[in-house]
Amino acid sequence: MLAKLFIKSVIHYQSYRCQDKQLRSYQQALLPLLDLTIRKAPLLALDLEMTGLNAKSDQIISIGLIPIINGQIKISQGKHQLIKIEGSVGQSATIHGLVDADLQQAVSLEEALQWLLTEATGSVLVAHHAPLDLSFIEQALHKQHQQKHRLFAIDTLQIEHQRLLRKQPMIKEGELRLTNCRNRYNLPHYDAHNALVDALSCAELLLAQVSQMGGLDAIKVSELIR
Amino acid sequence: MDITELQPITNFIKTLPPFDILNDQLIHQCCQSLSIVYYSKNALLVHVDSNEAQLYIVRSGAFEVTTQKGDLIDRVSDGQYFGFSGMLSGEKVVNKVHILEDGLIYQLPLKSFNQLRAASQPFDRFFNQAFAKRLRHQGELKRKQITTRRISSLISEKLISLDSNSTIQQAAILMSEKRVSSLIIIDNQQLTGILTDRDLRNRILAKGLNGDTLIKRVMTKNPITAQKEALIFEAMLLMSEKNIHHLPIVENGLPISMLTSTDIMRSQSSQPLLLIGQIDRQNNLESLVTVSKQLPSLLQNLINSDAKAQEIGRILTLVTDALTKRLIFIAQLQLGNAPMKFCWLSFGSQARQDQAAGADQDNALLLEFETDDSSKRYFKQLAELVCDGLNSCGFPHCPGNIMAKNPKWNISLQQWQKNFSYWITTPQPQALLNATIFFDMRPIYGDNKLFEQLQSNILKQTKNNDIFLAALTHNAVQQIAPLGFFKNFVIERDGSEVKGIDLKHKGVALINDIARIYALANGLTAVNSKQRLTALIGTTGINKQDMLNLIDALEFIAHKRLINQGVQYEQGLVLSNYLIPSNLSPLARHHLKDAFKVIDDSQSGIKLTFLRQF
Repeated sequence: MLAKLFIKSVIHYQSYRCQDKQLRSYQQALLPLLDLTIRKAPLLALDLEMTGLNAKSDQIISIGLIPIINGQIKISQGKHQLIKIEGSVGQSATIHGLVDADLQQAVSLEEALQWLLTEATGSVLVAHHAPLDLSFIEQALHKQHQQKHRLFAIDTLQIEHQRLLRKQPMIKEGELRLTNCRNRYNLPHYDAHNALVDALSCAELLLAQVSQMGGLDAIKVSELIR
Repeated sequence: MDITELQPITNFIKTLPPFDILNDQLIHQCCQSLSIVYYSKNALLVHVDSNEAQLYIVRSGAFEVTTQKGDLIDRVSDGQYFGFSGMLSGEKVVNKVHILEDGLIYQLPLKSFNQLRAASQPFDRFFNQAFAKRLRHQGELKRKQITTRRISSLISEKLISLDSNSTIQQAAILMSEKRVSSLIIIDNQQLTGILTDRDLRNRILAKGLNGDTLIKRVMTKNPITAQKEALIFEAMLLMSEKNIHHLPIVENGLPISMLTSTDIMRSQSSQPLLLIGQIDRQNNLESLVTVSKQLPSLLQNLINSDAKAQEIGRILTLVTDALTKRLIFIAQLQLGNAPMKFCWLSFGSQARQDQAAGADQDNALLLEFETDDSSKRYFKQLAELVCDGLNSCGFPHCPGNIMAKNPKWNISLQQWQKNFSYWITTPQPQALLNATIFFDMRPIYGDNKLFEQLQSNILKQTKNNDIFLAALTHNAVQQIAPLGFFKNFVIERDGSEVKGIDLKHKGVALINDIARIYALANGLTAVNSKQRLTALIGTTGINKQDMLNLIDALEFIAHKRLINQGVQYEQGLVLSNYLIPSNLSPLARHHLKDAFKVIDDSQSGIKLTFLRQF
């Protein structure tokens, strides 16, 4: 209850003082979604591929988005955007399967941010280990608007963390990894990894978690968003 | 979006028949239009929107399609489909889809499905065939047999015929001699007509013709015939179309036999009844032995026709009961009437009505009074004739010697009561272990009042008898059900892996034990485990859902046991209760695991209730 009030007031405050029109409409569109159930609220699963884990020094390489509408993941509306980076992808190229050549179709970080905000307006973001992905976006917004913004999302890792702690006293290393979380819900193993496949994996995990927590109609966005 | 970026989806779809025959472009088009939904067991049913037909492709999990009434249509898991029947027929879907195991479903909308059907003929054919197969499956399973069996399996080799220049009196004499309702009329080896009971009535007696009328004046000329190799089903159709009851069967143009509608009726589901009818007509041991040779094939037919384990157990028991009664009757033909009232008792599986193939006999005699020398001799001879007779008919002697021919179990009501009182009041676990079998008891033949007296006396003593029930429970929890399966092994609860599982001793027997304990604790007269569990619903302190779960688990394990034995029988192996997991589908493994879990929970339940153990 308190958390919900806190999130609401932060969003109110941010949209009030926000200079950027697009960012403001994103914030304002989010407010009425908080009281909806997971089935009713439009959700947007998000995954970023980065050159590293530090939002201050590393860069976003690509963004994968896939919407969940009325409890259904809509494949046709999945989107994948590559982003131009400064320098080379270096070491992490092997991890993400991206090489510099792929980045030919990439857009600038500014364009990508604008695209992301447009896509996300009217939806609640969902991510696995959301604080990491959000920190990269917050950092980029800060750079662009010279103003700090806190973003909110439903974090499937956080949900899993709480659910696991209810069953067992402590959490072992790796148990919260996306693949391992999915195994617990009888979700298939996906070999390929890119931002879009991972966004899809995260979207499926959320549906599974919420289904087992009491159902898409029983749980509201405000109970999960952080 | 470029769908190739979602490789896990395209890779999965393009391996599935019939999608595997589609080209890449169609695959991509199809994957693009999918929505993904997750279903959890908590929701019980998949909400199928009849206004928005789609193809449901199972990516993970397990689902069961049933009719509105609950009859099973299909069970599907990874890579299988449901929802297509409505899309093909255009009718509203009324089937229910139950969620057996949590999982992910890819939903393909009607529009895309139809595009694929239009684009690829083999794709279209695949679903139409699947639809037709399912429709057939929906029909009564009993019909399955009749549709595939041929006339040749039904008819007798004997051809009963006359020529058309014989008189109708000759015909009537032959028909009553051979006890048949019709004759085939043959002239120069060729079939020229048939003559039936009805013809004798309608065309002769009613018309006032006399006995020396020639057959050719009244017979049905050029009758409709059927080929020996035609399906029984075709013969049935022909008979109902033409409204006839007699069908001459021809082979290479020559008549060989007559098929009647009664023959067909008899060949259908009434086999067990027929067998029991045959048993009741035999007047000596030799002919009974011959008749009981049909038992293994009866069992096989029952398994093939997908009858429930509960029903199969009952039918086998009915046959055993009939055999026992007939043997007693035959013995009494020889020995004369009994010197006092008696009751033939059965124990164990025959008493519970859940006999399996190859079960040994467990029986005893309950006598009204103490015996003197002559009555002792009478009942000894009776018991020997019946027990040895059962042995010859395929029910081997009891290795534990729990048989009426053992003088220990051929005793008066008073002595029976004394025995039971001893077991109940001074329960030594080991002694009780050997006596457990006596607590499942049913009268087969003779005076039921004797049995009722004994039973009410027992139940009075067992009801709420903490010490006795604790001892019984102690014994019942010595065996435990396995945990489940892993690869081709059975996992025991201690984590060890073994090659197979004894479905009797680690399955059905455990549930029988649980049902018996509750029944004795509550003074129930029922003996069959399902009846016991059903009767327990509504009793104070009994959880209804637990009982329903136990009933389901019992049915499932017993069915698996029967199917396993059916396979062993077909392969000519020795029948056993041992199941090897590699013969199990993933879904069956899943169900068995659930059933084991139910047993484990119930064992904890009786431990808590009767042993005060947690």
